[in-house]
Amino acid sequence: MKPRDRLRSVGRRLTDPAEEMAQQVAERVIEFLVDALDINALAARVDMNAVLGHIDADDLLKKVDLNSVIDRVDVNALLRRVDLNPLLKKVDLNSVVDRVDVNTLADRVDLNPLLERVDVNAVLDRLDLNAVLERADADEVIRRVDIGAVLDRVDVNDLVKRVDVDALVEETDLGAVIARSSGGMASEALDAARSQAVGLDQFIDRWVQRLLRRRRPGPPAPARMLAARAEP
Amino acid sequence: MSPRSRPAGLVSQQGHYAGSVSRFLAYLIDLAVSSAVFALGLAAVSLGIQVVTGHSVTWSRSNIVVAFAYPAWEFLYFGYSWAASGKTFGMAVLGVRVVRADGADLESRRGYLRALVFPLSFLFFGLGFLGILVQREHRALHDLIAGSAVIYAWDARAARLRYLAREAESSAGGGT
Repeated sequence: MKPRDRLRSVGRRLTDPAEEMAQQVAERVIEFLVDALDINALAARVDMNAVLGHIDADDLLKKVDLNSVIDRVDVNALLRRVDLNPLLKKVDLNSVVDRVDVNTLADRVDLNPLLERVDVNAVLDRLDLNAVLERADADEVIRRVDIGAVLDRVDVNDLVKRVDVDALVEETDLGAVIARSSGGMASEALDAARSQAVGLDQFIDRWVQRLLRRRRPGPPAPARMLAARAEP
Repeated sequence: MSPRSRPAGLVSQQGHYAGSVSRFLAYLIDLAVSSAVFALGLAAVSLGIQVVTGHSVTWSRSNIVVAFAYPAWEFLYFGYSWAASGKTFGMAVLGVRVVRADGADLESRRGYLRALVFPLSFLFFGLGFLGILVQREHRALHDLIAGSAVIYAWDARAARLRYLAREAESSAGGGT
């Protein structure tokens, strides 16, 4: 071994424990210092404004990766911890609504998928229609109805076909009106004479058909009459 | 057939070929009316002659004027009635009407043609009228020649309503 190497070996044996000791001493000193230090008092003496004035906030924000910060935030947990009620109490909803353009909002909303998801029967089951009707001003509703437009959409012919005129005449005073206004004895005699004649016509015709042994009777009426009757 | 169901059945008969009884009764009425009017006409003519000439005139079937005038009057009575409205007075009473064979309104010329050939049906003991009974469309000989048919044309629906109204009124009167 060379004399220089030997010296180095001796030096190393001396410096390593010394360094270790110095480290321990330094740690102890810092520990004592921190214990002795009144952080609050120190902070009180620090002029934070001056400190903040030295900080370049823009530069700081540029260095911060906000996305990664946001990724780490558990928004649901955050929202769970937020008490929205006091927040909402402070909000003036009327002024918010006043600023909303409802027409634009409505234009953007596609009501069809919304309505498809609505169970109308369930809604109607929960609806107390009697209560609704009690609150409705029927006269006002009727005033707003365009009766002309409604009638335009009504098929009056179809409506009349559905009316049981016989029952109407029999069960209402309409019968008496017709009876008084339709000629009395003369029309009654005429109706009776015609009815009897038609009855005899049919009676004789049936017998003639039997005598002639016709299996298929002739047409009951001229072609145009049958066609007119067949038309709706 | 109950009295109630009869008018209901008649409504469905509207526009159908008229039968023999209705047509025969209508003809009897027409015959009576036209003959009465003709007789009144002759009476008026007699009165006129008597006033003008001072002679009384009596008419008989064998009189040449009557022999020509009566058929002419009958032709005019039936022909004009059928040509104008398709029905004579008797037909109107019985509620029947003459139409074209296909059901359309009868043209004037067919009306007069029908009146012209109408006497043919009386030949051979009224053989031409047999068609009303046996022909499928109840058409007599003069109908076949003129291309016409006779249908029920009275307002059976209104008659039914009148019938129901009378029933309703009588039942209401009986109840009180």
